[in-house]
Amino acid sequence: METHSIGVSRERIDARAKATGRAEFGADIRLPGMLYCKGVHTKYAHAKLLSVNTEAAERAPGVVCVVTGKDFPGEKVFGEIFVDQYAMVYDKSRFLGDVIAVVAAETQEQANAAAELVTAEYEELPVLGSPRAAMEAPAEICINADYPDNICGNVHVIKGSVDEGEAEADVVLHSHYKTGFVEHAYIEPESITVIPSRMRPELTVLGSSQAPYNLRMTLHRLLNLPMARITVRPSAIGGSFGGKIESVESIAARAGLIALKTGRPVQYTLTREESILESYKRHPIEFDVTVGASKDGTLKSLRVEAIGDAGAYINMSPPVMYKTATLGPGPYRIAHVDYNATSVLTNNAHTGSMRGFGTPQAILALENTLNELAEKLGMTPLELRRKNLLHNGDVSPCGHKLDFHEVSIASVTEKALAESDYERKYQQYTEENRDPDRRVRRGIGLACSMRGASIGADGNGGDVSRVLIEVEEDASVHVNIGLVEIGQGLRTCQSQMAAEGMGVSFDRVTLGETDTSRSPFTGACIASRGTFLGGGAIYDACEKVKAIIAEGVQKHYKKPVDDIHFENDRVTFADMDISFEEAVHACYHAALTPMAAGTYTVPLLDWDGHVGEPFYTYTYSCNVAEVEVDLDSGVVNVIRMVGCHDMGRAINPTMVEGQIYGGLAMAQGMGLLEDLGHSETTSAFKNLNFEDYLLPTALDVPDCNTALLDEHPDPRSAFGGRSMGEPATEPGAAALLCAVNHALGRAGTIREVPADLDRVFHAANARN
Amino acid sequence: MHNITLSFRLNGTDYTVETSAEKRMLDVLRNDLGLTGTKEGCGVGECGACTVVLNGEAVTSCLVLAGQMQGADIMTIEGMSETQIGSILQDCFVEGDAIQCGFCTPGFIMSAYALLLKNPHPTREEIREAVAGNLCRCTGYKPIVNAIEQAGLRLSQS
Repeated sequence: METHSIGVSRERIDARAKATGRAEFGADIRLPGMLYCKGVHTKYAHAKLLSVNTEAAERAPGVVCVVTGKDFPGEKVFGEIFVDQYAMVYDKSRFLGDVIAVVAAETQEQANAAAELVTAEYEELPVLGSPRAAMEAPAEICINADYPDNICGNVHVIKGSVDEGEAEADVVLHSHYKTGFVEHAYIEPESITVIPSRMRPELTVLGSSQAPYNLRMTLHRLLNLPMARITVRPSAIGGSFGGKIESVESIAARAGLIALKTGRPVQYTLTREESILESYKRHPIEFDVTVGASKDGTLKSLRVEAIGDAGAYINMSPPVMYKTATLGPGPYRIAHVDYNATSVLTNNAHTGSMRGFGTPQAILALENTLNELAEKLGMTPLELRRKNLLHNGDVSPCGHKLDFHEVSIASVTEKALAESDYERKYQQYTEENRDPDRRVRRGIGLACSMRGASIGADGNGGDVSRVLIEVEEDASVHVNIGLVEIGQGLRTCQSQMAAEGMGVSFDRVTLGETDTSRSPFTGACIASRGTFLGGGAIYDACEKVKAIIAEGVQKHYKKPVDDIHFENDRVTFADMDISFEEAVHACYHAALTPMAAGTYTVPLLDWDGHVGEPFYTYTYSCNVAEVEVDLDSGVVNVIRMVGCHDMGRAINPTMVEGQIYGGLAMAQGMGLLEDLGHSETTSAFKNLNFEDYLLPTALDVPDCNTALLDEHPDPRSAFGGRSMGEPATEPGAAALLCAVNHALGRAGTIREVPADLDRVFHAANARN
Repeated sequence: MHNITLSFRLNGTDYTVETSAEKRMLDVLRNDLGLTGTKEGCGVGECGACTVVLNGEAVTSCLVLAGQMQGADIMTIEGMSETQIGSILQDCFVEGDAIQCGFCTPGFIMSAYALLLKNPHPTREEIREAVAGNLCRCTGYKPIVNAIEQAGLRLSQS
């Protein structure tokens, strides 16, 4: 099929505004009479809150009001799936990011000063600083009374019999891997502005919200307002990566409460330290892995016990464990799988959605274990993978027969290997590293993954997206969709799909700014669902709008329209060839309304909770990483990373490459650098700003990184494309750790990330 | 808190501003002058989102006190379209897909502007060093380095 608007690297529709500084981010909003906020955090990670004393703060200069958790008129807790999060705590604190009061004042400086005057009395409770401590704690010490054993989620994939598989295997290998907390580190700290209506209790919320409908639900719940009186209109959002959802809802609820109380606009912006303190993180997960294989390398069984740290609130932990368990087994043929993923409440920062959603950790554990297995079998890591990668018609490790699209993982992998000259370098570095006098060593690693599109069977039947498309009288096309731009290029991509779907030129399409009052409920821009689900809804709406226009054309021109075709701003039918404008005029002339809501639902998946079809379709990925390790200093230099992905069809190839470059850099941070300095004793993070929490800079990320596309349009997606946000980062940390261990001379030398200076130095010395 | 009166040149225009001596240059720009193109990402000079060019040097304006603006020649993102280097940089960032969320973009463009002022034809290594103080979580940096390199090439052609 010839396409006009998709598969084209269009300039981003918002790039110009961002390049000139005109784009308005949350903290850029200036309104007359606006109040500024400062939150007061609990002193202890786990304590009964006996009293909060706000009188002194209330009397401080410029202070307009001080609110506490008791002031919410509605419910006290929120959450999309599990309703257990406090926007402000009033009974007890559960982690150090909990807020006990918020001061609103005429200026930020006044709010900051007054917040210092708020005091509280606490009765300290034992701090459960790790999943192990939480699982071993006596029943009376729990975070949430509904979960007395602190276990808040479990997903257990069971296919075949691992006992049988292990009995059949010639080699059975055990390993243990561990990952740490990871901060999203969007460069824009969270900022929310709430504007109350002057006419009635009604709020408009602006700022950095990745999930506007979730936010609306939370305000509805805590502030007792009908959803129809809450409009969420996200500003330009300075990065999110899954991170500006629940913790932003907390901020919006506090600001909304103050706006309702005072009748004034309220802005609430976090400092970086507050952002890192309050926001949720990527789950630290520990993995016990047992893999069985025959002598020739055929994988027989995979058994994994994964324990994830949910932190103080359940947040997205059970769905995260769903992806750990269903995508953790990788893109391999494995007959017997038992993958048990459990999340545990602790007094640590809560953990939730972050780009990858429980998979980068699992891929890291599996891919490094496979390298240990290859070593034991006397094979190379590549030989082991080539033997076991999925092909068309194979059954996935979770039991899904893959006969509906191109299972391209082998081709994706070969493309990445060829680009990185993997085989030659693997041989060369292996040889070189045998020399004991060589103190600077090189290593190369690869990691493969398959990513389920969207939410999967965990949300079976409820995974829906919606859009409203209206063709105006001048034949401009107005698209209103509630999926937000967080930098990934979603709105440019949606515009391209809408132009393609309507058969009009790209310039004819205007994507309305995200506004919950103008776009129908569509769920959140999460789970790599934007292109895939949004595309489905856009396709549906376009078909409906075109049918309405066709009816108008038929009435106006009095000719049959059975063969009507919309393409490239032309409309053809019968013996006619008219412009899109003429067709739209005909439609309006016939008193019809060319407007339609489009809906797309992922078909029901055959999943029994343990085995079956965990997702509707998949994206295939391979990353290769090449590193240089200085044994004397522990310094790891990344020489190059290559990311190759099959995302179906690239709607905008340049933007897909942008996702890949960014994903590789984020993986580098997780694999080698980023450490919040967590204490299991106090549950505190030591590293609350970027002087201590180190992100990869332009000098750390290799300039020769390469992004490759291996496109096979997906018949299960309206425009052939699948989303790329998460696949772009998920195998990278795994590939890096494989490469570091290759340089260190033995797979599994380091089994914990980040493989930072200390860890590499100690591992290098221990091996000497 | 005492007030001071500051006179400086900003984006080619002379300003006189009365402000608090305790303020940072970033606050004067964003709050007193309403120039919100300069962003605050960390407040400790690590992320570079607040980068402006002060007397020809890229500085993180969250670490500069208001008083240091006295008599200075300052350029911010809002002034870039009016300069040859700045407008070329903006074009190259847009065309090269060097912008994703865009929050770090003004800071990167200002660091690149300071570089190209002194060194119109930088190598990629020089570009990477010049923006090493600017953090980007979206792009993986390569498209940004490409854009700045491209701007250098266009400058030499113009």
